[in-house]
Amino acid sequence: MTRRSFLGRLGATVLGAVGGGAVAAAVAPEEAEAFHFCGHIFTTDSCPSPYRLPRINRAGYPLRPRDGRPIDNLGRLVNGSGYPINEAGARLIGPDGRPLPKGPRTRICQDWVAERFHIDARIQGSWYRCCNNQIRKLVDCCSRSRRRINGDAALRGYCYAPRNVFCVMYYDTGIPC
Amino acid sequence: MIETITPDVCGSRKRQAWALLFFALGALVASACVGALLGLAGSRVAAWALPVAALLALVGAAREGGLARVPLPQSRRQVPEPWRFKLPLPAWAAGYGAGLGLGFLTYQPVATFWVACAAAVALGRPLAGAVCFAAYGAGRSLLLLLPLRRGSEATAIVEALSGRRGGVLRVNAVALLACAALLAAPSAAAEPIPLGPGSHFDPSAIGPAFAYTQRNLGVSSVIVLPSAGGALQYPDAESPSLDGELLAYQYAAGIRIVRWATGEEVGRVDGVTSKPALDWPWLAYRRALPDRTLLELRDLTTGEVRRLGSVPVGADLGRPSIAAGRVAWHAAGSRGSRILLYQIGSGNKQVVMATTIALLSNPSLSSTRILWIKQRQGISTAFVRKLRRTRARVLARVSSQRTFYWTTDLYGLTAYVTRWTVVGGAARILRIEL
Repeated sequence: MTRRSFLGRLGATVLGAVGGGAVAAAVAPEEAEAFHFCGHIFTTDSCPSPYRLPRINRAGYPLRPRDGRPIDNLGRLVNGSGYPINEAGARLIGPDGRPLPKGPRTRICQDWVAERFHIDARIQGSWYRCCNNQIRKLVDCCSRSRRRINGDAALRGYCYAPRNVFCVMYYDTGIPC
Repeated sequence: MIETITPDVCGSRKRQAWALLFFALGALVASACVGALLGLAGSRVAAWALPVAALLALVGAAREGGLARVPLPQSRRQVPEPWRFKLPLPAWAAGYGAGLGLGFLTYQPVATFWVACAAAVALGRPLAGAVCFAAYGAGRSLLLLLPLRRGSEATAIVEALSGRRGGVLRVNAVALLACAALLAAPSAAAEPIPLGPGSHFDPSAIGPAFAYTQRNLGVSSVIVLPSAGGALQYPDAESPSLDGELLAYQYAAGIRIVRWATGEEVGRVDGVTSKPALDWPWLAYRRALPDRTLLELRDLTTGEVRRLGSVPVGADLGRPSIAAGRVAWHAAGSRGSRILLYQIGSGNKQVVMATTIALLSNPSLSSTRILWIKQRQGISTAFVRKLRRTRARVLARVSSQRTFYWTTDLYGLTAYVTRWTVVGGAARILRIEL
């Protein structure tokens, strides 16, 4: 057990004792790592994504945080062609007995942030940390907005002027560290 | 303030009448504005605000019933007395009315006003909020008008009310309990319609009948439930669409149109066609080609066929809906989704809404409204809006990675939404009153 996961579980235990199981579930290490997510002390919030943690692939499309499998914007696992599948990899079947059609799968920064917040957003700066024994690339989603997703003033971070950090995402490279 | 609008202060009975008129106008306009603004604010949070408002109403009822001690947010200001010396009568009378009509600037002896505020937010409808809150302004004005009719003093009425505080509290407690029940009622109205075993989806409603697809043990059939009673079953069929005495449905060889009461065939469209929507003589349906999926509109009397839309294989062209000379459908793929609307008379096609991040699907039309499903981030939401307006209202919402809304129908002021669960695949039709 790493020191971080130990602290996460300790925090969950304390909160659970104080506020009940719901609070404890909210800080379970698998879903919400201590201090935002590994490699990022909570300052700028996560970009909006199908799950609470904004895990992306190299191209900026959403992945399921716990195992890195591709998901669509609804949070469903998808195969290589973009069709929704179940955990075993079989096409999901609708109530009419037919396989479900594709749902939208679009980029977290360039598409999600741009549409939800009506701003021009793009990936610019990034930095690296060692998380779960592999190199994690932390990615800034940058915009010209003076406000970041938290609602307060945006910082330059690793963005190029005149852009500022609007929200953050991460990409697990799979490279050991 | 209540001693202010008298013949002595105003100068004459005629001026008192004018002051009362301006006071009432001020109170009505101010309270209606409060209701409209709260309704407007609530239009963004209507789904989760309903249970919160119901809970507040219960707490308020407990407070007025003497079961709980709950402090109320209070402003104990009084109307500014200098106004009546400095301002002309219409201005100060209307200003006094507006000050009292706003509600939150003056003392509130009971919790009812604040519960009404929460209910207006939960309702999420500015016009309805304005009308309901105007009643509050009317009540404020009535207190000044009553003495004129009874020939008594307003202060005497206020003192009489104060003397019956226990009764006033009890009346408020009962009203708040009723309010809580009404606020909680919409969620009960969205319960599934009991339709028996298997999955039920593809609702289609008209006045004298309701139809749906029933899938049980891997076999689909169309069920028609006449309002007169009984049930008609069309085996090996699915995706029904009712129009008066006619029923269109999908079967193995294409689409059939029959008189649902007798089963007499009226027409058919052969080929790889599916998802019919009937509004005689127009039939909208989906046609699958090797490389594309088309949406066609056919005049069943002349045989004229119009192509309304087309998507490549892999994208989805949704179940169309047809009503009052319009056709609505969805087009969705991995790059986004759209709801489209086609005017049969003019041939105009427009994108009603489009998104790159959510799945918009399964629209339904009535003569005045459009209903559709929006899915994103494990949240499935049914929206409805008037065709001539832009503001949409949340009808129902489910937050789950496993449960989604699916096909819909709209008839008059009743919406039907299919809710299905990925695990197990069971689908149920919800009935929701608008």
